[in-house]
Formats: sequence, C-alpha cells, structure tokens
Amino acid sequence: MSGDEVGSFLAHAIALEDEAAERYSDLADTMDTHNNGEVAALFRQMAEFSRRHADSVRERAVGVEVPERKPWELMWSEPEGPETAPVERTHYLMTPYHCLQLALHNERRGHAYYADQAAKAGDADVRRMAEEMAAEEAEHVRLLEEWVKTIPEPEPDWDQDLDPPTTGD
Amino acid sequence: MTAQPLTAKDYKSDTKPIWCPGCGDYSVLAAVTKALAELQLPKEKVAVVSGIGCSSRIPAYVAAYGFHGVHGRALAVASGVKLARPDLTVWAFGGDGDGLSIGGNHFLHSCRRNVDMTYVLMDNQVYGMTKGQASPTTEPDWCESKLTPKGPQVTPIRPLHLALACGANFVARGFSGDPNGLAKMIVEASKHPGFSFVQVLSPCVTFRAEQRNWKQLVHESEDAEEVASDVPEAMRRLAADDGFATGILYAGDRPVYQPMHPAVTELAAIERRFAS
Repeated sequence: MSGDEVGSFLAHAIALEDEAAERYSDLADTMDTHNNGEVAALFRQMAEFSRRHADSVRERAVGVEVPERKPWELMWSEPEGPETAPVERTHYLMTPYHCLQLALHNERRGHAYYADQAAKAGDADVRRMAEEMAAEEAEHVRLLEEWVKTIPEPEPDWDQDLDPPTTGD
Repeated sequence: MTAQPLTAKDYKSDTKPIWCPGCGDYSVLAAVTKALAELQLPKEKVAVVSGIGCSSRIPAYVAAYGFHGVHGRALAVASGVKLARPDLTVWAFGGDGDGLSIGGNHFLHSCRRNVDMTYVLMDNQVYGMTKGQASPTTEPDWCESKLTPKGPQVTPIRPLHLALACGANFVARGFSGDPNGLAKMIVEASKHPGFSFVQVLSPCVTFRAEQRNWKQLVHESEDAEEVASDVPEAMRRLAADDGFATGILYAGDRPVYQPMHPAVTELAAIERRFAS
C-alpha cells in the first residue's frame, strides 16, 4: 500500500478519532465540574471508544507514510471533524439520553464522511478502507441506536432548574 | 534522544475549566493550545495575561506563565511584561466588558503603542460572570437584563473599527465554532510584529442562548484571501461588515514599540524598596 492519497486518507482518519476522543474527554471533565457524574462517565466511555478506534487506524497505517497535517489543513466539510461533538450542543443538565443522541449524531456524520470518501476515492486501497470504515461506523450507529432505546427519554422540561446557578441580575 | 514535539494537550494545565457547558470559550482554549503546539513555544517563554470575567480565566487553563490580573488591565500588565521581557511571547485575553468598557482606554493606547503582543478578545456581547448585563458590544435593543429593560439603547462598539482606527498592526475576527481556523489565526497574529488584535465571536449560551445560532450566521469574509495592508482599504471593507465575517482584515507594518533600554535596577533593590 502506498501513495499520497492513502497517507492523506489515514491522516484524516487518525485525526478524526483523536479529535473526537479529546473533545469527549473535555466534555467529561466539564460534566464532572458541573456535578453531572452520570453524563461525565458516558462521555469518558465515548472518549475511550474513540481512542481505541484511533489505535486501530494507526495499526492499519503501519508501513504507510502518513503526512503530518496541521489542524486547519484537514479537509472536513465542517470546521471540525465529523465525529467531534459540537460544544454548543451540551448543557449542564443534559441526561444520558442527550449524551447518547449526541454520540449518535457524531457517528452518523462519521459514517457519511467515510461513505463520501469511498464514493469519490481515486485509489482502490483508499476506496476499500473507506468502505470498511463506513461499515464500522454503520455498526456503531446501530449499536448506539439500540443503546438509546434502553434509556428513558427526558421530560420536556429537563433543562428547567428550580435553583439555577446562573440566575440573571 | 530527540525531544518529542509538544502537542496541544501538553499546553493544557491540570486545572479544569469551570465555564458553562456549551460556552464558546472552551473552543477558544482549544484553539490557543493548538496554536501553541504549532509554534512549539517552550512553556517558560510564554506569558498568558488576562483581566476579569469568564474569558479571563484562561491563564489558569494554559500550561505557561499566567497572570490573572485586575479588571480591564490585562493590556497594561501584558505591555509591562513584554517591555520588561521582550524574549517572552505575550498573549493577552479578555472579554468585551473587560476589554472595551473597563479596559477601553488601555485598548486604545495598546493599539496605538504597538507593543509586540497578541490580544484575543472573546466577545459574547454580555457580562456573563456578573450574570447577564449589557456590555459595550450588546445590541441597543437587547432587553433581557433587568438593568436595561428597554435595551441599552446605545450604539455598540465595533471592535475591529476601533482597533484599526487606533493603529493596531494586525486586525482579525475569528469564531469559537471553528477552533482549527482560529488556531491558525492566532498563530498568524502571534507571528506578526506589533500589537495584534483578534476578536473572537464566542457565544454565551447561558445569558445569550440565541447565540447558539451563531454557527449559522458566521461566514468567511469575501476578502479573506487578500489581507489589506493599508488602513483605508481595511476601513472600506469594514463599511460592509455585518459583524459575522471572519478572517484577517488587516496586517500593517508600523514600527514596534520596544525601548532598548536594559533594566538597570536589580530585583533585589526593588524588593528592598517595597519592604521598607
């Protein structure tokens, strides 16, 4: 396996998982700080999953020259990687249901990213890897969908706090 | 053995941020650590200075020298640090209240003086730490604070206009929703000689919940590819600015203010003077 396209594809795949793991880990810390231990534990679990996926991509990359990419040189369709949880979608009262929905949102974007890479790959090795990774992401989506079903949906007023830490003036 | 390059994670301190979940400042912090990793600056060669406010907590979260200063005085402190220690890379941080109201005068003169440092103003158009009052960049009709029930009814300060008019040598606007792009912008700002100003649109999801939608409003400036190098051209571009265009607006070449007088008083002598 060789070629710039393969290296670039793997550089993106590694960054995708590394950035996702870092963000989940930050969100876990945030939720710990805000005394939402249940969601913190879930975010930490997601971070661990992303780290394992990053390790597995690194194993695939053995023997391939993977180029260094600065964060802003990564070619995502959005400002951040497809599996990086958007900060603005978090809330200090969010529930495990919201956390899993967020993870599901990220995995769906991850799947769409690899499906798109497979569709437009010029290199046969890249196409094969992208298809495999898209299939893996589809499996993650399926597992998360099953997981979400086991979690009760929050009440509509889940974000109402009778003793809010940030009452306006 | 060759030393491993420092990563963004290496520039995070062990102190965990206490910002509200969803706050844009988390992503500014991510951009800052990514920028430091790109520059590979030794931690002991970086000074991160701030004033008071939510955003001003950032020195605690960066593994470098930090100074969490007095309200509105981040730039005065940062200027002093840079003039006394020109070998340090000095980055100052603050919010729109800290930097444009209480610290407004320091901002004007920092732009004018052109000391070689970078100022990142994390703008959420509200005083967040004091629980939601109108700031100098709040819209005149924002009525959510009991202090200004009919809105502040005052024209907001436009930070880029002000920086440009006062002589800042580098003027840019970034967005916390694009931490990678913001990291690049901070790198450029830091490398540019003189006073570099970066306004960052950083939503306050607690007191300005509608700012969660900034992601839909922010767009790259039409002129992003061609940075203005003269003030009239930059001003012309600002005339059409909607407040959400990101990119480097201006990069000038004014001489940097850095007196070459070496320190003549030893630290011990100063300490003796204070002790007496």
